[in-house]
Amino acid sequence: MAFFRRILSLVRRERVDREIDAELREHMAMCVDDNMARGMSREEAARDARVRFGSPTAMRERVTAADATLGLAIFWNDVRGGFRVFRRSPGFAIVALVSLTLGIGANTAIFTLLNAIMLRPLPVEKPSELLLFGNGSSAGATLSVPSGDTRLFSYAFFHDFRKQDTSFSGVAAVDSSRISTKASIAGAAYQTTHVNLVSGSYFTVLGVPAVLGRTIEESDDSVPNAGAVAVASYPWFQRHFSGDPSALGKVIRIESHDYTLVGVAKPGFNGYTVGQSTDLFIPLSMQRAFDRPGGDSIGNKLFQSLDLIGRLKPGVTTAQASAETNLLFKQIVRGYMGPQPTQKHLDDLARASVQFRPGDRGISPMSFSFSLPLEILMGIVALVLLIACANIANMLMARGVARTRELAVRMALGATRRRIVCQLLTESAVLAFLGAAAGVALAWRASILLLNMATPGPEPVPLNLTPDLRVLGFTLGVTLLTSLLFGALPAFRAAGLEFTPALKDGRGSSSAATRGTLARSLIVGQVALSVLLLVVAGLFVRSLIHLYDVDTGFDKHNVLVFTLDSSTANLPKGADEIRSVRLQEQIESSVQTIPGVKSDSFAFFSFNDGGWNDQVLFQGVPRTPANGEDVNFNITGNGFFSAMGIPLVAGRTFTAEDQQNSNKVAVINETMARRFFPNSSPIGHRFGIGETPDHPGEKEVIGVVKDAKFFTLDEGSLMVAYFPCTQNTGFFSNFVVRYAPGANRQEIVSRVRDSIAQINPNILVNTVSSLEEKVDQSIATQSLIAQLSSFFGILAALLACLGIYGLLSYSVARRTSEIGIRVALGAQSNALLWMILRECIFLLVLGLAVGIPIALSSTRVIKSMLYELSPLDPTAIVIATAAVAIMTIAAAWLPARRATRIDPWKALRTE
Amino acid sequence: MAKNDLQGALDLLILKTLSQLESMHGYGIVMHIRRVSDDLLIVEEGSLYPALHRMEQNGWVRASWAVTEYGRKAKWYALTRAGREQLASREKNWAQVVKGVDAILRFA
Repeated sequence: MAFFRRILSLVRRERVDREIDAELREHMAMCVDDNMARGMSREEAARDARVRFGSPTAMRERVTAADATLGLAIFWNDVRGGFRVFRRSPGFAIVALVSLTLGIGANTAIFTLLNAIMLRPLPVEKPSELLLFGNGSSAGATLSVPSGDTRLFSYAFFHDFRKQDTSFSGVAAVDSSRISTKASIAGAAYQTTHVNLVSGSYFTVLGVPAVLGRTIEESDDSVPNAGAVAVASYPWFQRHFSGDPSALGKVIRIESHDYTLVGVAKPGFNGYTVGQSTDLFIPLSMQRAFDRPGGDSIGNKLFQSLDLIGRLKPGVTTAQASAETNLLFKQIVRGYMGPQPTQKHLDDLARASVQFRPGDRGISPMSFSFSLPLEILMGIVALVLLIACANIANMLMARGVARTRELAVRMALGATRRRIVCQLLTESAVLAFLGAAAGVALAWRASILLLNMATPGPEPVPLNLTPDLRVLGFTLGVTLLTSLLFGALPAFRAAGLEFTPALKDGRGSSSAATRGTLARSLIVGQVALSVLLLVVAGLFVRSLIHLYDVDTGFDKHNVLVFTLDSSTANLPKGADEIRSVRLQEQIESSVQTIPGVKSDSFAFFSFNDGGWNDQVLFQGVPRTPANGEDVNFNITGNGFFSAMGIPLVAGRTFTAEDQQNSNKVAVINETMARRFFPNSSPIGHRFGIGETPDHPGEKEVIGVVKDAKFFTLDEGSLMVAYFPCTQNTGFFSNFVVRYAPGANRQEIVSRVRDSIAQINPNILVNTVSSLEEKVDQSIATQSLIAQLSSFFGILAALLACLGIYGLLSYSVARRTSEIGIRVALGAQSNALLWMILRECIFLLVLGLAVGIPIALSSTRVIKSMLYELSPLDPTAIVIATAAVAIMTIAAAWLPARRATRIDPWKALRTE
Repeated sequence: MAKNDLQGALDLLILKTLSQLESMHGYGIVMHIRRVSDDLLIVEEGSLYPALHRMEQNGWVRASWAVTEYGRKAKWYALTRAGREQLASREKNWAQVVKGVDAILRFA
């Protein structure tokens, strides 16, 4: 009840005030009455009453202060006061609001991404009980005996481990690679579909129920090929069936197998991997139905392709689980190595271990590449906000001086210092929250935009970027902190001032000097931080330029890369199946006849498509550390080198002579040639794949080509070997087409599509992009960081300029009469200009003196993100320094010019 | 130990006064305390009105405007049920505080 009364009196504030006044007036009157009754004259009685009672206004302040509504009512009053203040000086309000919106918005946007990629727990049951085996950083499959940190596990291990009584109440397995394929629902057209192969225990262990039908169960995953069922993710189900429950039981055809849709997973759960959407979950028992390079996914006990997730039994610690698992792991895997494993394999296994990670946030492949950039960006936007705070603090302090008189009057009337500080802080908070509201709206849009810029590609990355409690809490915290940062100093200064002299002249001259020092230090800080941010931006931009200038080794101009999908074509599969290769050759020669096409070739990889690697051993060449590194393999058609524009250095490339049963051949790059044959030609020498090859000397080197970038632009020198498609059969999805400069790209794309459709209508073109676009996409993150850091660096410098402009304008305005006298006494305008600029240059030099050492000592943090560039790159530092210097002096120029135009007569009259 | 500070005494005096007089205005409360205590206790207006206000907000007293016997309009306060409960617990507390202070004073 008391609470409602408070709210009520909040509404009736004015009535309550009137009532208190009336009550106190009556009290005085009664006092006077009594005094007169005791024989005093009316004047005497009134004076005595006043002496005893004190000032009625001060009394009212005290009553109001003790009033239980004090919190709410006064706060509300101050909030309204805050709005009033900003209405009175809209210029200040707009500048402050825009800088806060940008500052808080940028912080929220970056934090939203950080949260979605690195922090947000999965929507599963009790996520804190989940443990991830390994760290989830590997995807694909390996056949090697485990050695070192083990990240992938075999299907056999998963089953054998589960049979043991362990620290886990349940263990789930999920295939580490998401399969992109085509699916046809009940005979309809094929559509791209992302499949996640999961164990029968997956949904139970994670605690994810079905919203419709059932989830995948143990019985679906007990016998190989037994579980031809699929569970849909909620978004896929909505997209294809709009929530219609009759979807259950529908047959979905994927890669020549039929699956029955048995259920839909609960909304919000899109698989264990963050940042990848899953459309269908299919039991691991069906993995043989999917074309997996490398071997028999079920039969081979060392075909390691799974991520394992365990749910700890209550009360069991991670350390216990880890000790127990590592012991079991070695026992079980030892059993897979046959009766007489080699000593090397035994040594490998002895070194192998399973590291555990908390499994609450799932596997986030993006976190590996984005965590450092996001943390750096977080730091950058935090500094920008800090600069904005310093600016607003300066403006508030200038206003505080202007309001000295108002505050002094209030304090004289009995308002406490605390009251004044609270009032001023509330005004700051109003400003901060307005900025935050706009900032959150901005951040929501901006984080989606940033994500799309960082991960260009045909499909948007499915990350949940809606602000959750954590993001809102972060923004709230940042906002409060911000308002304290920019509001506290001015508020305490304003409340701490000597108010008696302030009342006398109303200008607050006594505090002007100290305010000047404080304002100047804030500006020095701003200059220092903007230099730091511009140096960082300069480094990122210079690194990006280096990346653009890097010699890719291939000619990225006038090349198209088509990615083809053969999953609906029902191509014959199997080892040494040459028919797929013949189909490729047919497409190659048909496209070759299109006018404008110069050369074309299928390839396993073009650029930035992932890879396949292993060690190789040349006959008669001793193992060295340099040649013991993994060699990256590619499988290509005959026209690959001319299509990619990779020059031949020695020997020959593949020709029609290199057939399936002829001599096995390979083309290697210069790095590989140099590492194995530093002093002689590798042509004619033979090597085998593997550390101790199963087929030693199988491949003969027939040619050497120039080095070309394989994975990324910033990779070092990698060894690469190319094999012909004919001798490594399969259907390879990248199709590279080089056209003549000036040819019509659109026309070539459509004619290539036509040719493919004519030869086999079931081969679908998934994406078409130019090689240039692929190169740009591979450095999208770097380019985004360079753009963002430049944007924020310039913003920071602009804010610092605004600060300097404000300070000098204020100082010129204050010194109007002094300058007027100088002009009257014959001061030259150049001298005046210099007088004002001198102050700016002084601040600039101080700021640089602070900022450059900070920059020099802190840019080490981004060393790993710079390509062939020292974090102490002098060019970046010089450019940043020059930019800050030019901008600040430009900002000082306007007030300085104004000073030279002061009319001495007017100036002297104003005082 | 009684959970009380000596400052609570003012609340106690006001509550007790109102329970003795049924209803009274601020000036009357000051006068009553002064008269009954033989001028030993003089409540200052600067403390009284804030206290009365707090009590009204807390729902311990209710107020209404009425005319005094001398024809002045005044705000009259009276105890509510919550106020009576408050008084009872404060009286008990006060007794303990007095006992405690007494014990300290007698300690030799």
